[in-house]
Amino acid sequence: MSDLAKSFAKAKLSALPPESPLTEEGGEIIEDDASSASSVSSTGTVRPTSSHPSVQPVAWTDFFQQELYLEKDFPDGQKAKYHVYLTPPETPKSPFFVLHHGAGSSGLSFALFAQDLHRQIPHAGILCVEAREHGSIVWTAAGDVNNDLSIDILSQDMAEMIHLTKERMNWPDIPNTLYVGHSLGGAVVTDAAKRELLGNKLLGYAVLDVVEGSAMEALKSMQSYLTSRPSIFPTLDAAIEWHIRSRTLRNIESARASVPSLLMQTPSGGWRWKTDLSRTEAYWSNWFTGMSSKFLSAKGAKLLLLAGTDRLDKDLMIGQMQGKFQLQVFPAAGHFLQEDMPERTADVIVEFWKRNDRSTLVLPPKVSDLIKQGVKV
Amino acid sequence: MSDLDKAIAQLRACRPIPENQVKELCHKARELLLEEGNVVGVNAPVTICGDIHGQFHDLMELFRVGGDVPDTNYLFMGDFVDRGFYSLESFLLLLCLKVRYPDRITLIRGNHESRQITTVYGFYDECLRKYGSANVWRHCCEVFDYLALGALVTGASKNLESSETSYTDAGTQSSIEDQDIEIEILNSNSEVINRFPRSSRDSQLPPKSSPLSSPILDTPSRIGPVGTGATSSSGGSRSNDGGAVLCVHGGLSPLIDTIDKIRLLDRKQEVPHEGAMCDLLWSDPDEIDGWGLSPRGAGFLFGSDIVKCFNHKNDLSLIARAHQLVMEGFKEMFDNSIVTVWSAPNYCYRCGNVAAILELAEDGSNGGYIPRSNGDLGRKQEMERDLRKRDPPGRRYRVFEAAPQDSRGMPAKKPVADYFL
Repeated sequence: MSDLAKSFAKAKLSALPPESPLTEEGGEIIEDDASSASSVSSTGTVRPTSSHPSVQPVAWTDFFQQELYLEKDFPDGQKAKYHVYLTPPETPKSPFFVLHHGAGSSGLSFALFAQDLHRQIPHAGILCVEAREHGSIVWTAAGDVNNDLSIDILSQDMAEMIHLTKERMNWPDIPNTLYVGHSLGGAVVTDAAKRELLGNKLLGYAVLDVVEGSAMEALKSMQSYLTSRPSIFPTLDAAIEWHIRSRTLRNIESARASVPSLLMQTPSGGWRWKTDLSRTEAYWSNWFTGMSSKFLSAKGAKLLLLAGTDRLDKDLMIGQMQGKFQLQVFPAAGHFLQEDMPERTADVIVEFWKRNDRSTLVLPPKVSDLIKQGVKV
Repeated sequence: MSDLDKAIAQLRACRPIPENQVKELCHKARELLLEEGNVVGVNAPVTICGDIHGQFHDLMELFRVGGDVPDTNYLFMGDFVDRGFYSLESFLLLLCLKVRYPDRITLIRGNHESRQITTVYGFYDECLRKYGSANVWRHCCEVFDYLALGALVTGASKNLESSETSYTDAGTQSSIEDQDIEIEILNSNSEVINRFPRSSRDSQLPPKSSPLSSPILDTPSRIGPVGTGATSSSGGSRSNDGGAVLCVHGGLSPLIDTIDKIRLLDRKQEVPHEGAMCDLLWSDPDEIDGWGLSPRGAGFLFGSDIVKCFNHKNDLSLIARAHQLVMEGFKEMFDNSIVTVWSAPNYCYRCGNVAAILELAEDGSNGGYIPRSNGDLGRKQEMERDLRKRDPPGRRYRVFEAAPQDSRGMPAKKPVADYFL
């Protein structure tokens, strides 16, 4: 089947009502267990409380080659311990994808996506960073945790993590880079692109499901949404189940990979959110204000991937209709579209890279060059 | 009243027609479109329109401003559907008019006339909502595959006769009263907003004589309304022929250097992701030299050199295209060698732009004889000897704003996303 026919078929499929992931995916996993002697069946653990054995956590090692803690002492006395996942590029010419998660999410929200990306471009490098308060920690000179989550601080952190990774891995240079940011991460990569933190090493940036106008509108109802979430889960399995049942995530495989990293165990044994999202409210408008204009004016190829067309604000609607960036829409996905549709997301990102890869880009000749060559035009 | 006229009346009232009628209409339209080449020949006078995007009430405003079918000859450059709430009524009405008055309306394909795009940007959902099944969408998509890829307008007059209407600012009219008008901009009440005489470009170019003392042509000045063949004096050029105008939704393709190459494409298919057909529907002109990568992810950017070279090689005076939102409704680029026409006011009910249509008048000075402009080898060689740029025809732009919106039929606003951090 041609790519076109495939994408058409997918688009048609995606228009159908989504199937219940619990029953569908659960069924598949049971078969896996029977055939592959997984930990569940081999240890013979009886789990009478859970009707869905498939909601078990999956470790990061399935998705990335390395996990790094990168430490840095800043001249002003601050110290950082950054946390990243890395699959190194095979050659200095390989593309390098830097992924930044959203607020309250984690690097592992890109787990399945990164796996698919790597499968499609086996030589590509993938660096999946975690923001402070989300896996990375920065201390002030006085030794207190610095939890300043301003957008310029977060994009600076990302640039630090890229440079520290290069140093740790002894790369001669930073490879040609594409940023992929989801939600708050989209605002972070947009800010980093606008400030040209990687200079000419940045080929382009992809923003996943965040638009200034609709984000600002959604912020009003955000606190009430946050209070409606459970604050503690008895087990990780229960947390994974909640994400699926509430349709926050629509792909159980991804939930198994990402949800455990969102939580930390309390002394009483329950699991609570690692990031206190309500506390971040002070930064919400700072994150998204001016994002559309930065997105349109920064240098580099631009891709916006949305879960619904009606999420475009006026600036981006005009920009899109003037042909200033590439827009892709996954109507069947939820907000975490790289988790809900990791393979489709990877397809789009790979296409985006191929199109903008400077090493292979050959444009047709200019008229003036033809005339110089003596070609009759 | 025929069934077709009844369907037209019903659609004009913004009421969809039954599924079986859609099926029949689409069948007839396909038979008709099948007969058209990839590049449809269109004679001036003609009114050229850009993107509509399902803004039905604005399409009605367009007909009010530009004149109704069949009184006015129309050429729509694609993107009839998606985004607006009445893609179905808009497209079916245009299609009915095409079937009813095949010689008075030309429809060419835009990048939104595609299965893949319409499933994402609204037309598919709208069909599903209005009929409960995707059958109508499927019928329409089959018609999309038969739409022409471009049109070639010939017989346009180089100069406009002055419109008979009032000037918004009476004081400025007299200054150019006696000059040939190249561009005229009117508002939706047919009042002149601005008027530009054929620029001094002409007078710099020998061997032309001054406009006021042309001994060669003695055409009477300004008699009769637009399109009757009565024209103003010709500006001193050897004829009043405004040259040929290529109309295409997006723009040029590096794979297409002659219009004949467009004619050779196999167009009866879904819009491909790359290649000449894709480029014609997706590319944009830009202030660059040569070709560039389009930020849209499909098609190319092309610069002034590409347009001028293409126009010269194909003996064109102008390319008219749509595809890009222009806040002012139209935008001429590259020394008037290409124009973008945008006909969806306040696009998507939020962009705050005005819309425009472009009228080209008929050149009657040659007794109705229209020289073949494209594919005529002898003529092309003559052009190569005479490297002078072809003067584009006189252009009358009518600029209009969004019609008052009727909220009937609009889907309820979707609630804001509950999570967005």
